[in-house]
Amino acid sequence: MTTLSPETAGNAGSVAGSPVMTLRGVEKHFPIKEGALQRVVGQVRAVDSVSFDIRRGETLGLVGESGCGKTTLGRCVSGLTEPTAGGIYFRLSDEDRTTLDGVLAVAEEDRSPEQKQLLTRIDHGHRLDLLDASARRIYRRNCQVVFQDAFSSLNPRHLVKDIVGRPLRVYKEASGSDLTERVVSLLESVGMGRQHLYRYPHQFSGGQRQRISIARALALDPDFIVLDEPTSALDVSVQAQILNLLHDLQQQRGLTYLFISHDLGVVRLMSDRIAVMYLGRLVEHGTAEELFETPRHPYTQALLAANPDLSADPDVEMKGLEGTVPDPANPPQGCRFHTRCPVAVALCGWEVDDAVSWLSESATFPDTLTDVERRSDFDATLVFADEASARSVAATLSGPAVPTAMAAALETVSVEDRKVVIRFTSVDEVALEDLGLGHLTSCILYTVRK
Amino acid sequence: MTAPAASPPTRSTAPLVISVKDLQVHFKVKTGVVHAVDGVSFDVRDGETLGLVGETGCGKTVTARSFLRLVKTPPGIYAGGRIDFWSGDARRSGAGPVDLLRVPDREMLAIRGDRIAMIFQDPAKALNPSMSIGDQVAEVLYQHRSDDLVDDQPEHVPRMLRRASRQLTTGPERLALRLPPWRKRASRLRRRGDELVAAALAETQIANPRKIMDRYPHELSGGMKQRVMIAQALACNPDLLIADEPTTALDVTVQARILELIADLQRRHGTSVLYISHDLSLVRQMCDRVAVMYAGRIVETGNTRTVFSDPLHPYTRGLMAAVPSASQKRGELLAIEGNVPELIDPPASCRFHTRCGFAVALCEQADPELLEIRHGHGVACLAYASAGKLGVPNAALPLVDGSTR
Amino acid sequence: MAVRVRRLADVAREVLRNPTTVAGLVIIVMLLAIAILAPVLTTPNVPDPYQMPRDWTMRDAPPGTPGHPLGTTSTGGDVFYGVLWGARTSLQLSVIVVSITVTVGVIVGSLAGFIGGRLDEILMRVVDVFLAIPELIFALAIAAVLGPSFNNIIFALSVVFWVKYARIIRGQIIHIKQNDYVDAARVTGDSKFSIYRKDVLPNSITPVMVQATMDMGGIVLTAATLSFIGLAEAGLAEWGVLVSDGQAGISAGKWWASTFPGMMVFLWALAFNLVGDGLRDVLDPRTERR
Repeated sequence: MTTLSPETAGNAGSVAGSPVMTLRGVEKHFPIKEGALQRVVGQVRAVDSVSFDIRRGETLGLVGESGCGKTTLGRCVSGLTEPTAGGIYFRLSDEDRTTLDGVLAVAEEDRSPEQKQLLTRIDHGHRLDLLDASARRIYRRNCQVVFQDAFSSLNPRHLVKDIVGRPLRVYKEASGSDLTERVVSLLESVGMGRQHLYRYPHQFSGGQRQRISIARALALDPDFIVLDEPTSALDVSVQAQILNLLHDLQQQRGLTYLFISHDLGVVRLMSDRIAVMYLGRLVEHGTAEELFETPRHPYTQALLAANPDLSADPDVEMKGLEGTVPDPANPPQGCRFHTRCPVAVALCGWEVDDAVSWLSESATFPDTLTDVERRSDFDATLVFADEASARSVAATLSGPAVPTAMAAALETVSVEDRKVVIRFTSVDEVALEDLGLGHLTSCILYTVRK
Repeated sequence: MTAPAASPPTRSTAPLVISVKDLQVHFKVKTGVVHAVDGVSFDVRDGETLGLVGETGCGKTVTARSFLRLVKTPPGIYAGGRIDFWSGDARRSGAGPVDLLRVPDREMLAIRGDRIAMIFQDPAKALNPSMSIGDQVAEVLYQHRSDDLVDDQPEHVPRMLRRASRQLTTGPERLALRLPPWRKRASRLRRRGDELVAAALAETQIANPRKIMDRYPHELSGGMKQRVMIAQALACNPDLLIADEPTTALDVTVQARILELIADLQRRHGTSVLYISHDLSLVRQMCDRVAVMYAGRIVETGNTRTVFSDPLHPYTRGLMAAVPSASQKRGELLAIEGNVPELIDPPASCRFHTRCGFAVALCEQADPELLEIRHGHGVACLAYASAGKLGVPNAALPLVDGSTR
Repeated sequence: MAVRVRRLADVAREVLRNPTTVAGLVIIVMLLAIAILAPVLTTPNVPDPYQMPRDWTMRDAPPGTPGHPLGTTSTGGDVFYGVLWGARTSLQLSVIVVSITVTVGVIVGSLAGFIGGRLDEILMRVVDVFLAIPELIFALAIAAVLGPSFNNIIFALSVVFWVKYARIIRGQIIHIKQNDYVDAARVTGDSKFSIYRKDVLPNSITPVMVQATMDMGGIVLTAATLSFIGLAEAGLAEWGVLVSDGQAGISAGKWWASTFPGMMVFLWALAFNLVGDGLRDVLDPRTERR
């Protein structure tokens, strides 16, 4: 599990205040069920050991491609989904956070009774899944969400007044004409007005619906709003309106945002700090300027190189990535990005699956592979139907066609009859490393240099 | 990727492939007639990439779909104008163009997928989930390239085999083709088909086409599916490729690869491309020329480089300022206020006047034409119109920074 | 609220635009009028008005006979009386059965769909068992075991018909639950039941309403089938019973005793089907949000 040391987490985002949300080793796995009995045959590891803080008044951008787990993480933070493991803490004081990190740094079985007591106290006061009723109510009021799809996020049968006024009704904050006035002032704060009270969502354009969504999120005057791709479904001219509005509201109300998006331009504009996710894990984390000026992780660099930017030199070509995102039910060992990484080295986590998928991509791979006997992710025996194919595969694997990094990680290739034994150097998962000034990255290249 | 600079300056003299004149496509709805495309004119020349850029509902997709008459009628109505198309053969033989809006259905079938091909936004929806990749690509070949399938046959090609090459055989014929003496020739035909399919897939840099051919769409990633679509579209080496938001459903890292691929294939085959996108930065990267659409009209057109470095129309300017980029500050994006107007029976006025910061009274009364201001750079804005022709005093015209009176 | 009334008026206008729906509505209104006015148009039989009055002296009288405008049956029952009071029987039957089945179906389907998990598994297996047996045969079996009585037919139909609604509403709810507005309501902190009541149920219920409208017709048809084969009390003023009484005489040219009640069954089923179809077109969420 990756845990931030208190110092590094404290350094990040020096402008902002105490953390509103503190994530420690958050995991969310979805079971894959199969057959009539719905037996669990595997886990999709949507989010894996993610830790960071979201500090008061700042915007944390969460960026990554589809399927990287950013939306799932957003749902965990907003309390819509419970994480499988790890903790999400609400309004932890700096002191408690330091204590928490201290306790979490100790392995569970080695914790002293006092440490356990401390943990229990913090958990029950702040951890989302363990909050008591009144603390939960405070959390629920103070953490709101704006969803991507403004069409499905508004109940088609409710009037705007009921939609925006609903949180006020739930908390019995207002009723009757008082409620109406509160709703009007909320609508006005998002650039709409009294004339929209008695209309249905389908009577509005996408941008207006998103404004209604924002008004609803503001109704209880929350501290913190999760913005899940709030402008992805909008046209650029309307997107600009909404982004400006979100910025103004943040200034006026001192809001904290978790801004989830796949659009690097938007994230860069809106965020103070940015976390980049790939295949369920955080690969880089730092201030917006740092991350865009000096991206460290090869994946971040690839994202930036592929991102079209209107202000950039038009003659600079966009560069894409080879291959596809691996299956999150069976993520690569070591660094999860190594299968597509242009600068991968031997220590990046090459494993049996990489060899098999590389072999099966090649045109000469025989169809006679009958079994893969695994001793570990890094050590296996490939069983073929005949001796000749085993020999040719072994030859291919020790030949010059193998990617250099993979070849360097390959310790043994040996043939016995119809079997080929392959063994790779075994590697642990890569942890986030602090590069200074709250810029963290999980790339082996920086770990080694240290 | 082709940078606009790489395009030769003689491009404007290259022969025409498509010439759209005053195209009007309307849709009948309960409350009136929606003028989705309302008097659009542009040309696509041989080997060039024209970008059609605009926001949702501006009519760019409807324009492209009417090239292949894919707009459903009703509710659609081809209300006017023409789309002249010169196929490669027509250009070589000096024959005139055909009007795509009026060619007989049979001829349209022969053009679709063969002379003009289209790639769609969502490859997951455009591929048939119950057909193997190989069969789907082969379908295009059977439809349009049946002669290529039989041209390696050793002797005279009997009729039944020809029919087989078009997939027109009946049940008994298919049975006969499985038995001697036909079996050998039929399997040769199939092998030939597979070869052509594999070659088409290899063109799109699919590493292992023979293996991909046996797979089904759900087994492939989004980027891979889009490659298959491109292979299918380019299998017959069309004169015009219509790419309708080909990368909108893809991740950025994959998008870059697909665009690279399209540009590369275009360079090698000399295909003209009509590239439709809402993303200004992609259009700037991909296209030689660009046409900006708003509310069913083209408001600005010209060389990509000029339009992007010196946009004339207030809408184009607004659109470019609204895109978040590294140089912009938070909260200071220049949004275009308001929303796209209703296009039901629109009045004769500038469509943009409701959202335009420079609009004056005249903009509500006069409908600006697309006028060529500089060489190849046209704009439809009254600020650039001639007061004399409109019969109004100079002072009645709106004043947009840099517009000349 | 005025806006909501206007919306309802919009739906009504939309419904009235379709001529076949209007035709269905007209027939339904006529049938309802018949059912309501039956005690006025005929002299109710004593002691039980739902029993056909019998006049043993006037057996097999053809239509147009004075006092018996639609003729009489082979047992001297007045066909006119049977047709009119049959409408009353049918109305009661369909309203009772539809209310019971919709209520049970929606409750079971909602529990399965909204709560989900293990409960969903169990309830849906139960539903599967019910669905494995053909409706008519299942209802027939139950009614036959309980003995010939119209109340037993009502009971049998209720047991059989709820399953459909459970299925429909469960599917709808699972679909509606995925909408972001449900998550948005959870984020506001609203209770589960309130979310179900405000967000989930109102958006899931329309297909049930359409099905219920159609079943208003279908149930009468099925009930007529059951009473035709003798599962209702003899002499009951019910269309199926009348058709059954008259069918022996058809070959002898005495067509009236079966034809008039048969037509009523046909009209009743047709009318509700037409209206159901019209409702589906209007309430379909894809066409609704224009």
